[in-house]
This record gives sequence, structure tokens and C-alpha cells, in this order.
Amino acid sequence: MPQSIRPGERDDDRHDRTRRISWVDMEGVQRARVLVVGAGALGNEAVKDLMLFGFRKVDVLDMDTVVRSNLNRCVLFREGDQRSGRGKASLVAERARDLYPEAEVQAIEERVQSLGPVEMQGYDLILGCLDNVAARLHLNANSYHAGVPYVDGGTDGFRGRVQVVMPPLTPCLQCGMNRSHFKVMERRFSCTGQDTVFYRPKMAAEITTTSIIAAVQVREAVKIVSHRPVMEHVMHYDGLAGTSDILSLDIDQGCPNHPAV
Amino acid sequence: MVVRVRVRNAETGATVDMELEMENTVEEIIEGVSAYWEKDPGAYVIRKGRRLLRGQQKVQELDIQSNEELELIPDPEGGKI
Repeated sequence: MPQSIRPGERDDDRHDRTRRISWVDMEGVQRARVLVVGAGALGNEAVKDLMLFGFRKVDVLDMDTVVRSNLNRCVLFREGDQRSGRGKASLVAERARDLYPEAEVQAIEERVQSLGPVEMQGYDLILGCLDNVAARLHLNANSYHAGVPYVDGGTDGFRGRVQVVMPPLTPCLQCGMNRSHFKVMERRFSCTGQDTVFYRPKMAAEITTTSIIAAVQVREAVKIVSHRPVMEHVMHYDGLAGTSDILSLDIDQGCPNHPAV
Repeated sequence: MVVRVRVRNAETGATVDMELEMENTVEEIIEGVSAYWEKDPGAYVIRKGRRLLRGQQKVQELDIQSNEELELIPDPEGGKI
């Protein structure tokens, strides 16, 4: 007996329009376990995009709380969240479930340094939505050793970058860093004589660049779970000029993350 | 042997010519032009065409032609807070 259809049934499928993109593996998307590290500007946008795309298993790690100045670029935060005392990760997870009730979104209110390669091996990919070199280096090294693809995003005003790391095939974040990155990292840590204080400068940040960079991160995530070629290796975006370039990078033979090269 | 290159500041479009020895590194180029342009402290990278150059690479490894143009690009660090 031939299969029967009914008028309008395609419009009942939440993901019908996405399924029309022939190369997207929607089963892979829905099966993938994703870790988003950082629930600030990029993290908000990335989780929103993951939900709308149909990712169902997402963990969000952050230990910060909301301040009012976050509200110019964080789509999942609301006026008043800054007085709630609740963590960013918990708020993002709750609002993400509003966007896509079929998703399992868990908040992890811990530091990125609490995750080692063993914890990372439980994920199919990791999105880095961070704001400092030290946290990036930790995530980069541990995800590389765990063999988990890592998509890092960064912004500064109207500029942004995305790098896709596919261990063991591609260069990692550290391969592209130089003394200027390590000087930035050193400036973040100031020693008081008794303790080491982490200094966070207030960086320029706005929603249009944030949303573009997070969208590129999620699009690369979709390619990874759909087994499509990803960008090689770093996208630099200049919002003022309206340009973006994909630039290639070599593996650094001296990088500690590539001992077998 | 000395090779002369032009470095472009991606943020302003300004250029400066540099004379490089074969032993100079990409990090030294970054530090030289950052100081010349009095750049804000921050992370920077250098591109040569479609390639990002690694900091420890020496000029002799880069296949740089005389008067070739390099570009200094800020490497954005933010995104979480």
C-alpha cells in the first residue's frame, strides 16, 4: 500500500527547512554531544544557534553571574538577571530549553580548568566562547589530547576570528600563537605578593560581530557532525571593512600538543 | 643578506617598509611594527597572502620576495564577558 501524506504536514516538522539542505546530517546533529565553554556573548549566540539548528545534547560551562552591561549582546539574558544571583550557565541552559524543549541542556558551573581530557572525551565537539588566552590554551591542549574537535571564537569590537581544530590532523590554537599572545596572558595575572589576581580588562563588544562569529562557529560544528570538510584553518573577520578571509596555518613542530609530528 | 618588505597595518591601512635579516623571526616583525605604530598592548599575527605566519618562523623559511607585502592583524581575545 503506498504511503499516505496529508496537506501541510511538512510545515509541522520543526526542521523541515533545514532538512532541505542536502548535506546536513540532521540525525548527526541531533545525536551530537556538544560542550559550549563560556556562557557570555559568544556562548549566548552559539547556544541559541545550536538550539534553532536542532542540536539536542548541549552542556554549557561557566561560573560567572550576569552584570547589566552584558545585556547589549546576550540574547538569552533578561533585564533583572543581574539581580537574580543565578549563574550565566544556568540561565543560558534554562532559556535554551525554552527555545527548543526537546533539547537536553545542562549547566556546569565550574571553571574551564576543571575539565581534563577524560571529561572532554565524552563530547563530539567543543565550542570555545572564551575571553582570555589562558583559558583557550587549557581548552585547546586538553581537547587536542582527547581527540575532540574544537571550534574557537574570539571578538574585539568589530573584529573577530574563528579557528577549527581537528586533532590530530590540523594545527591547534597554540601553533598560531606568538610572544604577543603570551604577553597578553602575563598581563592578565598580577601578583600581589600573597596571591595571584586575574585581571579582566573591559573589552569592546557588540552584538553584530558576536552573532557573526558565533554563527560561523556553529556552522563549522554542523559541518563536523555532518562529516563535511571544515574551514582550513582560521577565519579573520573585519566588520568595519566588511571582509573575511580564511587563512591557512602550519603545525608548529615545536608545539607541545604535537609531539609525534 | 637583507630583504626589504612592506608591512600593512590592517587596522589603519598604514604601511611601513622593513629591512629584514634572514635570521629575523615573525615575532620580531610583530614587535618592530607594533612599536613603530605604538599599537595598544594585545595579540597580533602576521599574514602573508593566504597564510598565517607562525611567530618562531625565520625570514629564511618564509619564501619572502623583495618588496612583498605582509599584514599585521589583531588577534581578538574577547567573547565571553
